[in-house]
Amino acid sequence: MHILICENSIDGIFSGIYHAYEKRYGHKNTQLSTIEGVDTYQLFCEYEDITTDAAISQKVANTLISRLGTEVYSELCQAISAYESPNERKKHINKAEAVYKTVVLGLSIPNGSHILEYLGNPYVNRVFQLSLSTFNEAHHMLGFLRFSELENGILFSRIHPKNYILPLLADHFTDRLPQENFIIYDEPRKIAAVHKSGSRYMLAEVPQADENFINQFSDKEQEYRTLWLTFFHSIAIEARKNPKLQSQNLPKRFWQDTIELSGNS
Amino acid sequence: MQITQEMSLMEKLHILTDAAKYDVACTSSGVDRAGNGKSMGNCLAPGICHTFSADGRCVSLLKILFTNECIFNCSYCLNSCENDVKRASFTPEEICTLTMEFYRRNYIEGLFLSSGILVSPDYTMDLIYQTLYQLRHIHHFNGYIHVKSIPGADPVLVEQTGYLADRMSINLELPTSDSLRKLAPYKSRKTILKPMRQIQNGIQANKNELMIRKAPRFVPAGQSTQMIIGATPESDFQVMSVAEGLYQNFGLKRVFYSAFVNVNHNSNLPMLPGGPPLLREHRLYQADWLLRYYHFQVSELLSEDRPDFNIFLDPKCDWAIRHLECFPVEINQADYRTLLRVPGIGYKSAGRIVQARKHGTLTFSDLKKIGVVLKRALYFITCNGRMMYPTKLDEDYICRNLMGDRTLIPREIRESGYRQLSLFDEGMVSPEAILS
Ligand code: SF4
Repeated sequence: MHILICENSIDGIFSGIYHAYEKRYGHKNTQLSTIEGVDTYQLFCEYEDITTDAAISQKVANTLISRLGTEVYSELCQAISAYESPNERKKHINKAEAVYKTVVLGLSIPNGSHILEYLGNPYVNRVFQLSLSTFNEAHHMLGFLRFSELENGILFSRIHPKNYILPLLADHFTDRLPQENFIIYDEPRKIAAVHKSGSRYMLAEVPQADENFINQFSDKEQEYRTLWLTFFHSIAIEARKNPKLQSQNLPKRFWQDTIELSGNS
Repeated sequence: MQITQEMSLMEKLHILTDAAKYDVACTSSGVDRAGNGKSMGNCLAPGICHTFSADGRCVSLLKILFTNECIFNCSYCLNSCENDVKRASFTPEEICTLTMEFYRRNYIEGLFLSSGILVSPDYTMDLIYQTLYQLRHIHHFNGYIHVKSIPGADPVLVEQTGYLADRMSINLELPTSDSLRKLAPYKSRKTILKPMRQIQNGIQANKNELMIRKAPRFVPAGQSTQMIIGATPESDFQVMSVAEGLYQNFGLKRVFYSAFVNVNHNSNLPMLPGGPPLLREHRLYQADWLLRYYHFQVSELLSEDRPDFNIFLDPKCDWAIRHLECFPVEINQADYRTLLRVPGIGYKSAGRIVQARKHGTLTFSDLKKIGVVLKRALYFITCNGRMMYPTKLDEDYICRNLMGDRTLIPREIRESGYRQLSLFDEGMVSPEAILS
């Protein structure tokens, strides 16, 4: 068995898929794995590291889009953006492998755009689960994310999502707030989406956020936060109070990114 | 009243949110509208929840009243003119500022504006119209707006407002006209159903117009309404029949059910010592889903002889157990509508089953991965002619097993200690059997 080890990113896994075809070991004898997915080396397996290459990844993306359609393509990207916990990695097919084998199957059937309907197939099913997990978190975060207005009028948001959903969020807010300057900062991954009024957003690596800058709020900021808290507390019906239901609907891990439940406003 | 003049925005917001909170609708669903590059806002058809309040309900919209002053005295309502409560009114400008500033900070998905009746229905409706007009045309707000139409207001005002809103609603308030007459003497079925019909016709005319030319959209997310449950003696059968009629004859998008809270401690109204009838409300919502997504009819679920829902089983399980002649269903063959009727199979998983089986025979473990709740479905299905375990297709047997599944009674209600059980438990199995 040949195991190709690739970086845990869209470019990384697409590069891996390219080499899996290129090396011609046969798909039966080839597996893909993210770096995180390899914790013990197995006997009788040959391990190869794959270098991430944006140009190669782009080629793979083009093939996928033309052969499987944009919908399948974006589901695959969404699946790759999902986080796998160590525990999940033990129990399930590795993400890179699931995407790779789904692509192989998709390219081998006459109507590849239907590949994601093959839910009885374990690889496709894994891709479906991963993609759903990213989608669900992104959808939650569209609502739970909060912007604060900084002194210079920029709207700033700090988030801590499990999956890599920043591009999905940035797309949404670019459409929604076209005339605002805003920054969404994925703190654990140290990546920010920066949007300038009237233009597209850009992604930037921010190894060290300038805490002074992002804590200089505008004069009005505190006032609106307080008004929001007033609303939030007044809207609850005392006779129906139900903290369990509240945290079931809004899981605690999201609380830190809100204003009303973060406990520090 | 003069106090409103000096009241701070914060205090107004407190009073007018508090007075709006019993209205249950807070969804921002039903319309997809991309941003236009200039205005602030867009809309997503499934809606977005922005937070959940301490009662566990979704908060999506800035849900406020324009004013809690009211010339009427509906007995279930906190704003009744006979009540001694602090009164406040917003100005249109204040509402615009709150909406815009909350929206750009992503606190909300839009505005839900309702109101008590100040001076007259027309006067109030006009204030609401002014507010929406400013929001759309001065502040260029492109997010979601749900507005309550005021019963008895001039149809012209209602129509103009409909061109600015995404969703409109007129609350039915109570399931029957008798109850309405008793508790809300200034409202009648007529003043409620007339504008409802007007909006329905408006939506249809607008749809026809949009097919031939570009035109402003009229109430694109449709209408909804709400009924208070438990203040008056109607059965579930009556309530659901009314809901079904509204869906079929008035083209409503949603009917909401609001468990009665006796805010006024009014002696004409039930005291409900167990608190609001939450489990009953929950069952009504489940049945409502069955009407809207599962092609059920009220007459299949309830009847004059069985006028109320089973509190221990959800309406679908309850139906299935009484119709064992329809089961078991073969997963690899049954059509979509038949799959929909199987307990434990939701409409999403039914769709996935139909897709996936085109590409190979499905097994029980596939079903699990697809999202079917097997512990509920297993009594009613076969895969390739086999049942998952040897089970009996027997009413008592299945009933007993299903009731062992504690998730059938929603957690939030289970954990409130079954306070409301006593209201319904006549003729039921003893609660201990299920709680253990
Ligand atoms: S008209 Fe509306 S606000 Fe006024 S008392 Fe009746 S329900 Fe309450």
